[in-house]
Amino acid sequence: MQRSIIIILSFLMTISLQAQKDERFFKAAGTPVNPKVSASWNKYYTYSGIKDLCERLVTAYPDLVKMESAGKSYEGRDIIALTVTNHKNQDPDHKPGYYIDGNIHSNEIQGTEMALYAAWYLAEMYDENDFIRELLDDKVFYIIPTINPDARENFMHEANTGSSPRSGMVPRDDDRDGLVDEDGFDDINGDGIISMMRRKNPYGEYKADPSDPRHMIRVEPGEKGEYEMLGYEGIDNDGDGEVNEDRQGSYDPNRDWGYNWEPDYVQRGADKYPFSFPENQAVRDFGIKHKNIAGAQSYHNSGGMVLRGPSIENGGSEVYSREDERVINAIGEMGETIIPGYRFLTIWKDMYTVYGGEVDWWYGFMGTFVYSNELWTSHLMFHDDSRDSYKFDKLLLFEDAFIPWEEYDHPVYGKVEIGGFDKNFGRIHPGFLLESDAHRNTAFCFYHAYQTPRLVVRDIKVKDMQGSLKQVTATIANLRMMPTHSGQNIKYKIDPPDYIYLDGGEVVASMIVLDEDNNLCEEQEHNPQRIEIQNIPGNSSVKVRWIVKGGTKYTVRVESVKGGYTSGTN
Amino acid sequence: MKIIIKSLILSLLIFFTGEEIAFTQAKYHEPGEINNILGDLNKSYPGLTRLETIGRTYSGKDIKALSIGSGDIDTRPGIAVIGGIDGRYAAGREIALGFAGRLLKNSGNDEIKDLLGRVSFYVIPDASPDAISGFFSKPMAERLINANPTDNDRDFTIDEDPCEDLNGDGFISLMRIKDPTGSYIIDPDDERLLRKADLSKGEQGSWIVYTEGTDNDSDGKFNEDSQGGVNFNNNFSFEYEEFGENAGIHAASEKESRAVADFLYDHFNIFAVFSFGPQDNLGQPFKPGRQSQETQEPDPGQWRRRSRKIKNILPEDSEQNALLSGKYLELTGYKGSPGFTREPGNFMEWAYYHYGRYSYSTPGWWIQAEKGMSPEAAFLKYASENIEEDVFIEWQEIDHPDFPGKTVEVGGIKPFALYNPPEHLLGEVIESNYQFLVEAAKLRPELELLDLKTEKLEKNLHRITVSLHNKGIFATASQLGDQVKWVRKIKVEIKSDSDFRLLSGKKIEISERLKADESREYSWLINGSGDFTISAGAVICGMDEISFTVR
Repeated sequence: MQRSIIIILSFLMTISLQAQKDERFFKAAGTPVNPKVSASWNKYYTYSGIKDLCERLVTAYPDLVKMESAGKSYEGRDIIALTVTNHKNQDPDHKPGYYIDGNIHSNEIQGTEMALYAAWYLAEMYDENDFIRELLDDKVFYIIPTINPDARENFMHEANTGSSPRSGMVPRDDDRDGLVDEDGFDDINGDGIISMMRRKNPYGEYKADPSDPRHMIRVEPGEKGEYEMLGYEGIDNDGDGEVNEDRQGSYDPNRDWGYNWEPDYVQRGADKYPFSFPENQAVRDFGIKHKNIAGAQSYHNSGGMVLRGPSIENGGSEVYSREDERVINAIGEMGETIIPGYRFLTIWKDMYTVYGGEVDWWYGFMGTFVYSNELWTSHLMFHDDSRDSYKFDKLLLFEDAFIPWEEYDHPVYGKVEIGGFDKNFGRIHPGFLLESDAHRNTAFCFYHAYQTPRLVVRDIKVKDMQGSLKQVTATIANLRMMPTHSGQNIKYKIDPPDYIYLDGGEVVASMIVLDEDNNLCEEQEHNPQRIEIQNIPGNSSVKVRWIVKGGTKYTVRVESVKGGYTSGTN
Repeated sequence: MKIIIKSLILSLLIFFTGEEIAFTQAKYHEPGEINNILGDLNKSYPGLTRLETIGRTYSGKDIKALSIGSGDIDTRPGIAVIGGIDGRYAAGREIALGFAGRLLKNSGNDEIKDLLGRVSFYVIPDASPDAISGFFSKPMAERLINANPTDNDRDFTIDEDPCEDLNGDGFISLMRIKDPTGSYIIDPDDERLLRKADLSKGEQGSWIVYTEGTDNDSDGKFNEDSQGGVNFNNNFSFEYEEFGENAGIHAASEKESRAVADFLYDHFNIFAVFSFGPQDNLGQPFKPGRQSQETQEPDPGQWRRRSRKIKNILPEDSEQNALLSGKYLELTGYKGSPGFTREPGNFMEWAYYHYGRYSYSTPGWWIQAEKGMSPEAAFLKYASENIEEDVFIEWQEIDHPDFPGKTVEVGGIKPFALYNPPEHLLGEVIESNYQFLVEAAKLRPELELLDLKTEKLEKNLHRITVSLHNKGIFATASQLGDQVKWVRKIKVEIKSDSDFRLLSGKKIEISERLKADESREYSWLINGSGDFTISAGAVICGMDEISFTVR
């Protein structure tokens, strides 16, 4: 009896959950009003939170969201990968793909929320919005919310600064003394955050800022100081005279990719060889399995940038072709419009040189058009260039992000004061700005994904010829901005050419029509049924022709790795 | 029954005298045989050897490493000896294997016994066993690649155009097609050979030359996509060529290269790597060149970061190379090395430029270069005087399906003959390379703490001074290794069970390298008294320890 009541109750609850109309809400433009999967975008997800959200998306939208493990992290966590598309209308691997990952630097956590937001938004809006429906009908999104789950957990749960670990969790000997990770931070005040140490010193070079005494500023020449700064909370654990010099990991997972890789003395943070770490190996294998990924985004923080490659100067093969330049700049510049305050920059030229970075691997090895957004900029605090963190914390966060200076006994330094900004401030978004920036960055990804090739077969014309031969001519158009093959892809034959087949008759010859008006054609002698096109550039078309024996009804089939599969019939 | 007993006795004999057989028979061994010999050596010398399987190839062959030394071998200077880095250089495998066998056989001698207590040897005779399969296959065919199926010619089909033995002689050699469009002529130095026509001398080619086979996939190219694979010796990160031929999907992408690199990285005590393959800096040492000023300079006003690649040997390391090269030529009697071939992603340069260790490589055997003569012609001249076996397959006319009506002939130098000594010379080659490796090992870095001075300034106040000296001929690390994070630094530590305070000097000091015969002074001011120990060193250069008492 009791049991049947529970069943009835849960049945009723399910109905109310699934109800699309809810009397309590009024829809805000551009946001699902009553999502099936409740999620809030003003906090950060731990690994179990990520997993839970992904599982709930799969349960609520089984035909749109699929989840798999792309591999295991060093500590054995699954690298969760979502495939978001309309799984019913076409094989997802036969649609142009768009890839999103976040959190390669473990402290740069909000890339994960941006990636999750995209997955959630796509699933929730599929039935509500024509643009999203078209996007998921035509494209496939591969989303790996965190590609560094171990160190994400470490960042959140262990004592860290806002900039640590950055690395993954594989132990490494940073100071070349034969010991690994033997001198990390020490959480002197035990609050789970590594903040700053200061000590009263009449000869110190620092004093409290009169406008906000929490803020330590350098004294002017001739002025008397009150404090000396002793760096991040720590002790010389191994007695070598250095403090915190061999922390956990401290390699850079974004200097580990197999394109333009250089060792540590050229590129700090590199490890033994490209793909030294299991997390990146998993992403590499995932990418190779999904060669249809035509566009990609790898989220970082911070600074408010839409970054493009190349990451090194005069890299040779990684210099983009002129055609690619135009596409990459057009999409990137749109990023500046979609995300105000973010600047569109080139990595090596406007920032610094990166050997073995993920961005160059996607473009260089995979032939994918890729951006890396540096999320969060202090411009978002007051929408100007004042960028005053103390003022922002006081007026908008009510000092929630600051750990007030307090006195502690340090085993070596004696009486010190510990304080400063919390690890959740400075590089990651404060809660109330997270959703807005997630939406803008996602919108940029959607714009980019929309511009991946869209191929259609048009104007199939059949003409009778002498003898029993027929001439079948078709136009294959690419309706979007991006080509099926980047310059790098063509140069190194990363993907096969676009194959265009004719079914429905016996093909005896075929050709590419270069200029129909003047009857200029180029015959393809080898395997005439399958015409090979090196590239179908953005917003353009190619014309192909077969000479056929027999048949009246012909199907033109297009197979393009990054342009998708399509067909048309006369 | 009789046969069974016979073979039983034979196998028992092999079991008990396995090592003897290993030294006396200089021959080319198949990968399985090499691993059996390593196993036998390990069984015969359990106290001096450790045998590990460090990886498995794509075809399932084990890659093995035999570590040799007495006592705690991983905490003293080590030398890696590596063969099989290029599938054509079969002799390098035998040199590495023969070195291990001889070293152990001689381990009773005082000289070697002493050496094995001071230096450790890590021998990987066959780094890429799948690549050597062509040496033992029927037909015999030179190959460079492992058994990882790849689309070598990037036409999106895999392994579709291998070589064929068209004349059925058991060798994949060359084929030449008489054709006015060809660019080869008969080599005037040796009429059996062909060489490219020199247009500037008015020569016109009349032969097309391919490796022996048919155009299986009718793409107009011959034998461009045979089974496999990736070339071990093009799969390392120094000057790695993205999308290079047989280079793999990225540096260290292959099971073989990763197994060897990981083994080396795991052994922080290895200070020098000796490898046997096409690269040669022992016949002719590397000379220091001007360092490339290849820097990355972003636009002014942006965040700047310089990164400098090093592509030429550093001066101190070049002096060491010259010394080793001199010893090599003296001990082997070789002359006229053909010189260094730089291949993208090669192992020996990686071992120096990226792994940061002293790295030396040689084919182990070569034919003296002759001025104005191609290496092939010089080889045939040498062979006519020194090698009894046939090294040349006479040109033989065949019918070729791809060239109807044309004169097609199959022939040329036998596969592998150019790079490897005939079996009857192999023993000598192994012996002289063995002698060299032993001499090189004697030059190891070795630290000693000297001139300990304790001064009592007051009661419980002592000044301690000591010198740390490298009495080896090798520096404690290569000059390049100084910058490499996988090369450990010298650690100097002062310890005591009694209570003391250091007024000056560090308890642990992480120090820079010491060159040959260089010394450095350390001093401490101690408040306290008792028994103290100072230790200094690192596994790459060895440790020394000194104890004293101050009252």
